[in-house]
Amino acid sequence: MSTTERDSARVHAACEEVAMLPPPRGVPGAAAQRKLWGSLAVHVVLAAISCVMILPFVWMVLTSFKTLDESFAAGWLPSALRWENYGALLNPDPDDLRTRGMNYLRWYWNSLFVASCVTFLQVFTSALAAFSFARLKWPGRDKVFLLYLSTMMLPGLVMMIPNYQIMITLGLVDTYWGLIIPAAFSAFGTFLLRQFMLTIPASLDEAAEIDGASKWRLFWDVILPLARPGLITLTIFTFIGNYQSFFWPLVMLKSSSRYTLPVGLLFFDSSQGQQLNLLMAGITMSIIPMLLVFVLLQKYLVKGIQLGAVKG
Amino acid sequence: MSDATAPDRAARRDKARRARRAGKRLAVGLAFLGPNIVGFLCFTAIPLVFALVLAFSNWDLRLHNMFKDEPLKFVGLDNFRRLLGTPEFYRYLGNTLFMMMGIPFGIAGALGSAILLSQDLRGGSGRNWRRLILYVGVAVVLVGGGGALLVAAGAPLAGLTLLLGGLACAVLMGGVLGGSTVYRTLFYLPFFTNGVAVFLLWKRFYSPIDGPVNRALQPVLDRLTTAVQATPAPAVRAGSWLALAVMAAVMFLGVRTLRRLWRDGEMGAVGVLLAAGLMTLPAWLGLRWWPTGALALGSVVIGGAALLGVATLLLGGRGSGERFVAPRGEAFGTGLMLGVGLLLLGVLCVGAGRVFDALPAMAGHPEGLTPPLWLSSPFWAKPAMIFMGLWAAVGGNTMLLYLAGLSGVPGELYEAADIDGAGRFSRFWHVTWPQLAPVTFFVVVMGVIGGLQGGFEMAKTMTNGGPAGTTTFLSFYIYTEGFETGRLGYAAAVTWTLFGLVFLVTIFNWKFGNRYVND
Repeated sequence: MSTTERDSARVHAACEEVAMLPPPRGVPGAAAQRKLWGSLAVHVVLAAISCVMILPFVWMVLTSFKTLDESFAAGWLPSALRWENYGALLNPDPDDLRTRGMNYLRWYWNSLFVASCVTFLQVFTSALAAFSFARLKWPGRDKVFLLYLSTMMLPGLVMMIPNYQIMITLGLVDTYWGLIIPAAFSAFGTFLLRQFMLTIPASLDEAAEIDGASKWRLFWDVILPLARPGLITLTIFTFIGNYQSFFWPLVMLKSSSRYTLPVGLLFFDSSQGQQLNLLMAGITMSIIPMLLVFVLLQKYLVKGIQLGAVKG
Repeated sequence: MSDATAPDRAARRDKARRARRAGKRLAVGLAFLGPNIVGFLCFTAIPLVFALVLAFSNWDLRLHNMFKDEPLKFVGLDNFRRLLGTPEFYRYLGNTLFMMMGIPFGIAGALGSAILLSQDLRGGSGRNWRRLILYVGVAVVLVGGGGALLVAAGAPLAGLTLLLGGLACAVLMGGVLGGSTVYRTLFYLPFFTNGVAVFLLWKRFYSPIDGPVNRALQPVLDRLTTAVQATPAPAVRAGSWLALAVMAAVMFLGVRTLRRLWRDGEMGAVGVLLAAGLMTLPAWLGLRWWPTGALALGSVVIGGAALLGVATLLLGGRGSGERFVAPRGEAFGTGLMLGVGLLLLGVLCVGAGRVFDALPAMAGHPEGLTPPLWLSSPFWAKPAMIFMGLWAAVGGNTMLLYLAGLSGVPGELYEAADIDGAGRFSRFWHVTWPQLAPVTFFVVVMGVIGGLQGGFEMAKTMTNGGPAGTTTFLSFYIYTEGFETGRLGYAAAVTWTLFGLVFLVTIFNWKFGNRYVND
């Protein structure tokens, strides 16, 4: 063994010894410290963006507590927490010029009523159709489904114009039914629920068949309970979509007592828009139902969207 | 004989039974489908046919109603001919396309938020987490106490400072205690509530004289005015040369990226040419925006150089053996996105240069710099709507989809990148971005389809299509033509034209989307 070889062997041994030593004590602490500051920085950035996101809402709520003079002054803060604006909208004084021609509570009720009816009907008809497409086998099924799918690609505007003419012919213009019936059937809802129902194992159907259950029993007692997350997702989508719906109600509704909130708010803005504090109170109240739905059912919403069910 | 007939009869009986069973299955299937398909026929299928008929007729609510019944005429292609001959149509189409400039920014913002939200928010181990809470708690006390002191001292704007500081602290505290869910909820809020109510809110937010936006901008602009007046004009104008330099750097980076993609055979000629063409557009915009000869010339030189660079690359690469040959249409979508990104950066540079060029003159005005009139200004109405759209889009569905996509990226890829010594940026560029390509593609296609049809609610509630038609989008045009004027036939023709545009995007999706989805 030459000296160089012996040297290199010694070096190797030394290296191995070094490798087996515990790492220097300062290093993990420093890494952890860096991680801590890093995540603190991320927190600060996220909080800053969050503030930007809610800033308009903060301004809205604060303005809704102001008096008329305050609402056009520079500061953001009202001088006191006043509920008068809300009172003026919910319990209007017939002599009050500020709320003349307005019927806020009625609009609120109309919106909730129409959106609830549409949601119930649409979820029900979509669930039935989705069951037929996902769990039953019948000749021509896939062709019909393809037809459904292909209509989802069409812009909603294409159908609006002939539907308006149909509503005129049926005499449903300016009625609740004119808002509810066309929205009660949805290719999107059928598609969404079908995707959910396809994930339920097929063995359940066979088990139900062996037990002698009818198709209706299978639908009602087996598939529907298992498709609950999908039903809730569709319920949220439909309810919010109809609560916010603007184009169709704007076209259909003529009399103020039948307005839904979006149409009513537009009317309010154009006729009494200089009452900034009242307008903000109205907008705040109209957002509250959405906030409730959002906070209570957020879990389902996020999951539904991430499953690839994106509307529009 | 009897040997042959028995199986025959059995087969026939079998067939009949099967047909009966199929008939029963069909009946059950249709029974479940029944309620839905009736609605489908009445409100989708029949209207569809009806819409086609309408588009080729002179159907007009002013001619055909309960008082008046003029004969309905088929006018052939007249509606479409009139539409294509109307200059307004192109203007409104242009408005609609202009709004789509927000899409890339929205997607970038959503991706950024998703990446931030998917970071480690607990600072590693459990002990660190506790320390994090302590730090934030101390910060909250400091900011809150400072704000309270400001109020006690009667400082101007103290109330607002306190309010904003308190808000920020509350959000930060919530985020530290509740984790990413709290931030995600707040991010998603604008998108979820986006509708007429929020549009009316923003209309007031943008109000030129007493809206909070301009109230906040005015002092900033006042300070800028004094700063610009104090600086000699040539020094300010030099800023536009700086903007040109940035643009040159962007172009150079763009050409270099294209060169790499082309050499490695990752992108075909069509994609490269498309990206190069889009990239040079801002240079030609410089010609229009800059009356000053030298600056316009500069931007054109930069654009020309970029184009020349791509041309030499495409021609010169051919003979050398090191290049892998990509099919012509390869990575067309990537080329498009790259081109749009560079286009927007270039437009920003040219715009910034134009602003620097004009600043001395604007600051010399007796009133100094004034904030824009936003929705009442023909120039600013659409950008104002785009800003509002970004506020809603950054934390919207796109962010949720990206979050899901990010959690699906295999960890081994990051480990492999770490072993290769990749930095933060190259980790993102070589692992995250390609892995998220399907999401990005989906989001872009959906955004374009939605953008073509959208904008009605904004236009109706915020500007009523004005000022001077600058926010009249195609959907708003359809509304005014069909439901305000009553020309249903003509409006139907516009909807079918819109459908044609959407269909083009869908074909693009079919042709190029599958490649991303199958990967």
